[in-house]
Amino acid sequence: MYQTIRYEETGQIARITLVQSHINMEMVRELTAVCDHLEDTSACKVVVIEGENGRFCEGIDFAEFRPDQPMDIHGFNKWEKISARIERLPKAIIALLHGPAKGGGAQLALVADAVVASSSATIQFDEVHHGFLPGMATFRLAKVVGLGHAKRLIMQCPILDADEALRLGIVTVVSDDLESALSDTIDAFGPIHNVAVTLARRLLNESFSTEFENAIGNFLAAQHRAIHQTPFLETIKKYQNE
Amino acid sequence: MNHPRPKLLSVGTSNPPNRYTQKDILDLFRVANPTVRAMFAASHIEGRHLVIPEADAEGVPHEDQEALLRKHRIWALRLAKEAIDKALSPEGLTTADIDYLCCITSTGFMLPGLTAMFIKHLGFRVDCHRTDVVGMGCNAGLNGLNPTANWCAANPGRNALMICCEVNSALYVYDDEITTGVVNSLFGDGCAAVLLRAEEGEATSLQPQIVDFYSHIIPDAWGAMRYDWTSSHGKFSFYLDRDVPYVLGIHAETPVDGLLSRNNLKRRDIDHWIIHSGGKKVIDAIKYNIGITEHDVRHTVNILRHFGNLGSGSFLFSYQRLMDEGKVHSGDRGVMMTMGPGSTIETALLQW
Repeated sequence: MYQTIRYEETGQIARITLVQSHINMEMVRELTAVCDHLEDTSACKVVVIEGENGRFCEGIDFAEFRPDQPMDIHGFNKWEKISARIERLPKAIIALLHGPAKGGGAQLALVADAVVASSSATIQFDEVHHGFLPGMATFRLAKVVGLGHAKRLIMQCPILDADEALRLGIVTVVSDDLESALSDTIDAFGPIHNVAVTLARRLLNESFSTEFENAIGNFLAAQHRAIHQTPFLETIKKYQNE
Repeated sequence: MNHPRPKLLSVGTSNPPNRYTQKDILDLFRVANPTVRAMFAASHIEGRHLVIPEADAEGVPHEDQEALLRKHRIWALRLAKEAIDKALSPEGLTTADIDYLCCITSTGFMLPGLTAMFIKHLGFRVDCHRTDVVGMGCNAGLNGLNPTANWCAANPGRNALMICCEVNSALYVYDDEITTGVVNSLFGDGCAAVLLRAEEGEATSLQPQIVDFYSHIIPDAWGAMRYDWTSSHGKFSFYLDRDVPYVLGIHAETPVDGLLSRNNLKRRDIDHWIIHSGGKKVIDAIKYNIGITEHDVRHTVNILRHFGNLGSGSFLFSYQRLMDEGKVHSGDRGVMMTMGPGSTIETALLQW
């Protein structure tokens, strides 16, 4: 049913495989349709995004651009919208990296809640060397690695190997048994209470750009929502029965 | 038969001339209670337009209930005149062109009501149909918009005007107590008038159609926001429970999803959220419970910062900011949402 991706859902786990090596508008449309499904109907708790054929994703497809035609910024906006939507899904988002994640592929890894990588995985924000910008990695990356490293990664475009990406905090775990590392990571997320996971992630993502006086109000609003959901009520009941 | 839908044609707003910072108010009323002073500081309000008299012999302004009611009457008329002129002039209309008048206030009781006073003084026709919505609080703008829009739908081509007119400084009780401190740190004076008409043709990027309304009341929180008569002051005093933001937040999904689902929409289909500036905590609660962003509430937050909570007209001030911003496109959809006593959450769906 999809051309650029493959979507499979088994039990609590949904897997999105990028079957096409580069990102184009069709892939953005198909990812949008997948997000509609994940938000509206899917009961899964984990979304795994992965590549195939020895690569995660090699970035934007330059073939979609025509030098003789006016440049269009709106496609970039659509990419940011789908990235933000994946980042905010009410599921745990895990990127599974094997081989290169370049440009938009590296950006995609950055919106995940956890990145599981094989030792062959590499990460490169290569856009600036091509004369354009690595999307909202310009906003997200410094929060993950600090401003100094972010400047190096985005302006010098080095190819990070898996271990260096692990040291910098972009990658969560490196293993050559990807499936078992993925399974361990999913276990580590525990029961995955959708509301608690989504709110915790939102507050963390907002943390660097919100003043404390605003953040405390945001936290209280989010906490009030969390403690009125079934999982917390069950936690209390369980405690009282012990 | 295809009924033309009512459209919001234009909006006008007004405020009294004097603007006070939070510190101005504390100093003017010589508020010493550190908790109240901290409350003012944490309100996320920079300033508010208020009508406050000169200090009396004791060095602080004082108004009895009679003076407060008089202030409401005088300023309601002044503010309404300005807001009405601003709402009608873009359409080249005058008050004599208005066939239905709906006035909303919760900050002063009068009989006859505001509609009768406006007809007497502002040039409306004596055969103008009218409704006064009194005492429904901050949510009342949408409680008034619902019958106004329905009247328009039933009377295509005829003009209706809705006026939300709140002189919140006419319900202030100044003492050193925390209860009054919350209220006094929050509300500002302001009036908003909006012109409606149902007519053939699509909505445009400038004049949205009103598609639907959805109400929700929380009877368990009946007493969370209310007027109390306080004999010690000889005045009505507004009581606001501290849990109000959270109660409203936790119930916000119900009317929003009710409104959207019966119109086959999802929250992501909504481009613009026009939300009552109830207070910082209320806005936070709505934001995290219905999953909308700081950007979605930018006008709501800005109106709160610059005007305080303007009661029933607040959401129309935000609507005006949204339209002035010039970023609305034809085909966009919006949700209006107001919250207040009852406890109540009212919603409306707009289509540009």
